Amino acid sequence: MKVATKHRIFRLLMTVTLAAALCTTAAAQEWDGYSFGDQTGKNEACLSCHGNAQTVKGASLINRTQFAHTTHALIGCQACHDAVSQSHPDGGRTSRVDCQQCHVDISAEYALSIHAGKAPCAGCHNPHKVETPKEISGQEINQICSGCHDKYQMTAKHGEWLPQAELHLYMLPCITCHTGSKNYFISMYIVKNKDNSRLGRLEVASYDELKKAAGGESILSLIDTNRDNYVSIAELRDFNKNPDHKFLRLQGMMTPETVTHRFEILDNRRNCTFCHASGTAAMQTSVIALPEENGTFRRVAVEKGAVLDALYGTPDFYLMGSTKNSYLNGIGLAVICGGLILPVGHGSLRFLTRKNRKAKEHKS
Amino acid sequence: MSEKKMIYLQPVPVRIWHWINAFGIITLIVSGAQIRFPEYLTLLGSYRSAIQIHNAAGVIVAVSFSFWFFYYKMVKNTLDKLYIPNQEDLQHGLVRQLLFYCFWYFLGKPSPFHATPNEKFNPMQKSAYLAVMFVLMPLVGLTGILLMNVTPLRVLILMSGGIKIIDTTHFLLACSLLAFLCTHVYLATLGSTPLAYIRPMVFGWEEVEDHHEETHQEEASASKYRPVRHYPEYQGVRSEQSDS
Repeated sequence: MKVATKHRIFRLLMTVTLAAALCTTAAAQEWDGYSFGDQTGKNEACLSCHGNAQTVKGASLINRTQFAHTTHALIGCQACHDAVSQSHPDGGRTSRVDCQQCHVDISAEYALSIHAGKAPCAGCHNPHKVETPKEISGQEINQICSGCHDKYQMTAKHGEWLPQAELHLYMLPCITCHTGSKNYFISMYIVKNKDNSRLGRLEVASYDELKKAAGGESILSLIDTNRDNYVSIAELRDFNKNPDHKFLRLQGMMTPETVTHRFEILDNRRNCTFCHASGTAAMQTSVIALPEENGTFRRVAVEKGAVLDALYGTPDFYLMGSTKNSYLNGIGLAVICGGLILPVGHGSLRFLTRKNRKAKEHKS
Repeated sequence: MSEKKMIYLQPVPVRIWHWINAFGIITLIVSGAQIRFPEYLTLLGSYRSAIQIHNAAGVIVAVSFSFWFFYYKMVKNTLDKLYIPNQEDLQHGLVRQLLFYCFWYFLGKPSPFHATPNEKFNPMQKSAYLAVMFVLMPLVGLTGILLMNVTPLRVLILMSGGIKIIDTTHFLLACSLLAFLCTHVYLATLGSTPLAYIRPMVFGWEEVEDHHEETHQEEASASKYRPVRHYPEYQGVRSEQSDS
């Protein structure tokens, strides 16, 4: 049998196995976070060493909880590391499968990108800790990019055409502009002022900090005050204004729902009204990512609508052209109309009494 | 009796500053409106070009404002005298000028104030310019500088109450400046002819009436308290009223 034919059969088998596993688990139980089902005992032989920080160090150490939440855990360690020698660990490099054996379409797409040949899949993705954009904050996504792309060089490069480049790079994931996606959502997470100082830099709040703020109760109860497991925009607004935890607040990033691997420079993102306009469709859907004790994030859906209005209450947030206060616009209009009273009122009387001034001119 | 004479009212630096300021502020208003309402306004093309034009015009107006301040305060040393109303202005001048705008003007009487190079503004102008040039313009400029540098000046923004407060202040001040601009342009047409007050800001020279020596003497004693009805400009009106 030819090698190509073997590969094709292998891929087919893998796809069918994976699809069957996903269908079975999805039907059998409700999805919790981003868990894809039960893989009890499947990887235990490997994780008994590689999941133990006393035994294995560095990159070979795998976080059991994070790995358990990946699809890769379902297919098992040996699906990717198929040729582990009997003498393992013997200091030799363990075999690893080429990602494209399963991820065919993504690999083909990636091969056409400007990243191809410069970074392997593992350059951005840790296969033992796979996360989708909904499971990771924008700041964490950008940390991956900054492994190669120097922050200051990127700020200078973007600053050639982008106003407030530093602010944009801080407040947006790179992939929002550099990968295509049909749908976008606002990914929200709780941030806190560093050192609980009003002027401190904002950073993502940890599980322990939020648990403490919630008084030991569920972190969601900080926002979902009526405990109905549904977050309304009113609750978001109340959370941002709550003086009990004045150093905590929500921060949002516009994030693509699905990402392509072309990493192209999308010209339409240079059109600022993609974001800077009120009522854009991309700003109507949002989720809150809350940290869990095991290092993962729990996603909670939020009422659809103008979620940015809730963020507008925070002192750090203002999205030009989008977050407009209609009362303020009314006051501004009244001020301008006040300035027109004199030209219109005085001008009308001036026109009606023009004969008086003409008479005086003739007299003089 | 009076004769017409020309006085050199607006020196070249003042005229250059005035028109840079005028075009700069109009540009800021148009671009600012597009930045705030991108769904309705696209006068300056893309949103990005509106921001870049707004930023550039803001810097030009801020620099021009600094030159204006430097010129009047350091070079001519007349800033306080020109722009700060004196006791006479506050006690009588404001009322006199207000009466002229609201009443005497419609009866065809001349303005009680005649501009000279050392006394360019009437009491109402002084008060308005004091508010505009010493409060509105510096504040709109400072909030604009903060909004142009959100990340580097983040601490200053937070100390001022947050970016929302800064943006609100900037927006309302801009609306106030637009309101002032409408009034300013209209009042500039209230001379003996609609262009009489505008021409000096283009050519520098203004045509004024040269009054008799008696009038000068009466004006010189104007610092003492007198009821408005006793001002010389309105003696004619009183006699007309008694005739009728």
